Amino acid sequence: MDKFLTVTALRRVVQLTAFFFFVYGATVFTTFYTDDKLTQALPALSCAYDMKSGDYCALIPLQHQMDHRVSTLFTGDSGIMQALMGTAITVATVALLILILNKAFCGWLCPLGFFQESVGMIGTKLGMKQLPSLSVETVNKIRPVKWFIFLFLVLIFPLLTGIGMLGHEWGSPFCSICPSRIMTTLAVGDMNQLYISQAGWGYTLLSLIADLLFGLMIALALFVRQPFCRICPILPMQTLFKKIGLLRLVKNGSSYCEGCSNCVKACPMDIYEIGNPAVNANITHTDCTLCGRCVEFCPHDGVMSFKYGPATILTSSKESFKKRSKIDKWWKG
Amino acid sequence: MKNVLLALVLGTSLWAYGEGVLYWAPHGCDTGKAAAAAHGGHGKGESAMFAAMNLEGNATARLVLPDLSLRPLRFDRNTVMLPPPKMGGYYALVAESESPGNVRSAVRYLSLFGRPADVSPTRLTALPKTALEIIPDPLHREHDRYTGSKTYRFVAMFKGKPLTNVPLVLETRRSGAQTFTSGPDGAAEVTLPDDFANVTPGRGNKPSEFLLTLRHEEGGIRYVTTFSMPYSPNPNNHWQSQEWGAAAAALGFLGGLFLYRRSRKGGQNG
Ligand code: SF4
Ligand code: SF4
Ligand code: SF4
Repeated sequence: MDKFLTVTALRRVVQLTAFFFFVYGATVFTTFYTDDKLTQALPALSCAYDMKSGDYCALIPLQHQMDHRVSTLFTGDSGIMQALMGTAITVATVALLILILNKAFCGWLCPLGFFQESVGMIGTKLGMKQLPSLSVETVNKIRPVKWFIFLFLVLIFPLLTGIGMLGHEWGSPFCSICPSRIMTTLAVGDMNQLYISQAGWGYTLLSLIADLLFGLMIALALFVRQPFCRICPILPMQTLFKKIGLLRLVKNGSSYCEGCSNCVKACPMDIYEIGNPAVNANITHTDCTLCGRCVEFCPHDGVMSFKYGPATILTSSKESFKKRSKIDKWWKG
Repeated sequence: MKNVLLALVLGTSLWAYGEGVLYWAPHGCDTGKAAAAAHGGHGKGESAMFAAMNLEGNATARLVLPDLSLRPLRFDRNTVMLPPPKMGGYYALVAESESPGNVRSAVRYLSLFGRPADVSPTRLTALPKTALEIIPDPLHREHDRYTGSKTYRFVAMFKGKPLTNVPLVLETRRSGAQTFTSGPDGAAEVTLPDDFANVTPGRGNKPSEFLLTLRHEEGGIRYVTTFSMPYSPNPNNHWQSQEWGAAAAALGFLGGLFLYRRSRKGGQNG
């Protein structure tokens, strides 16, 4: 049994449990009413459109608050308190959750993250050749996209809608293109979210992007690691608070590392910066999902670690690297 | 000829809607709408005034707040005006009237914006409000809406016990009465019709009203209760195409496979 006990194995168990909770949780743990959800501000893509979800992501309240509340600062319909209270509560909840688990919401709990990784496993088993890593240039080109999505589709367009400068379809534009909306609703047997709307060009455009993106994400996930995560607006939102996160990726490596780059190859988000030498530094990157693969695949004792507050909870070692590599070879066949 | 017949059928059902039973309907007058706008918490264009239709006998009305506290309401003829809401969440509007041998009641829910009470809506729906009651199981999600062509569960309840094998009668303004029978747990699955005329693409469509009626006789007393709520056309029947949606997803998938082939031929990354 110990042979298979790795961080990834543990992560799969946690992810599967979380998937059931976040996609089907309302059938057992909560109810389908908003008021009964766990936090209503999860920093991962558990979806409010899924009527059986145990909780839902922070992006939907953020978009609605921009549209209906924060916008009143500009239209003068209500006081400052009323305009900002909801957003303050959502942001404070996110900050608190990030303090506790930091970006592990992605690597360990997000239903869409797990879905993409599962599709990737299917791709491997189907014998599809996996793209090992994207090039540095490609990664650098893709990285800003998530910030644009966060700024425009989560904050600015909904705000402009509330002010009256954009049509209603721009009130929650990220939800309108979000692949988790389609994936989780299909997972609970609800076919209603896969559609093309004819209610106006904005609606048509957003619904078309949503469906194309959903199909594209599945096909890409068969051979590229976590394709949607690379443009997911949850990452920038988490990043606003990652400095206070108790859980973090710490590197203490110098000469060992030169020419190794095992961690970079292992990283599903292609964060090449983790290969740089560092002295006891918090290297949790914006794109990091705290999956722990870099720790597992680092062959040097004590170079890569997960720390929680002052405590080291996981650290790289020759021994665990050997075990992990063996399993990886077996899995890839 | 067909149209004349249709008009006749529609005309009669329009006429017969809610005949003889006590039920709640929103009062669309300007005063009600102005009050809702001034109170805040209501949706755009909603009214804070409700009318109890077919009101007779010694009637009372009350509001159950999201935290389950009670607030008596005063009838002005057959209408009540809601007070400004202090919290967000579901409210239940209850009317009861008694005359010799008859107990009539009506329940309606509304969902208002605001800081939520720390009480689950499941407790509000489960709370006994009238002797005979139709309990939505569940209600639509907060700020969502009942929608045509969708199926919802309702439990027939008499003094805290489910009534099995009893008919729940559904009426809308445009469709004649339809009967749904409760199962062993007292629950009936009710599919709302998507019977809207002149639907325009998008959000501009006004909701219509549906009415569920349940009757029960015990100890020589006839009980009748109703449940009335607004419902809306189903976008997927009118201006959204699921077939095209599936086709677009398939196209996206093929695009991804094309990129796979390109990556295999030594092209640039994904
Ligand atoms: S559609 Fe996406 S962003 Fe919107 S609530 Fe669902 S998971 Fe969150
Ligand atoms: S980055 Fe990936 S894992 Fe994180 S919330 Fe987005 S989809 Fe989920
Ligand atoms: S840096 Fe490490 S923990 Fe973060 S995503 Fe990459 S492999 Fe996972």
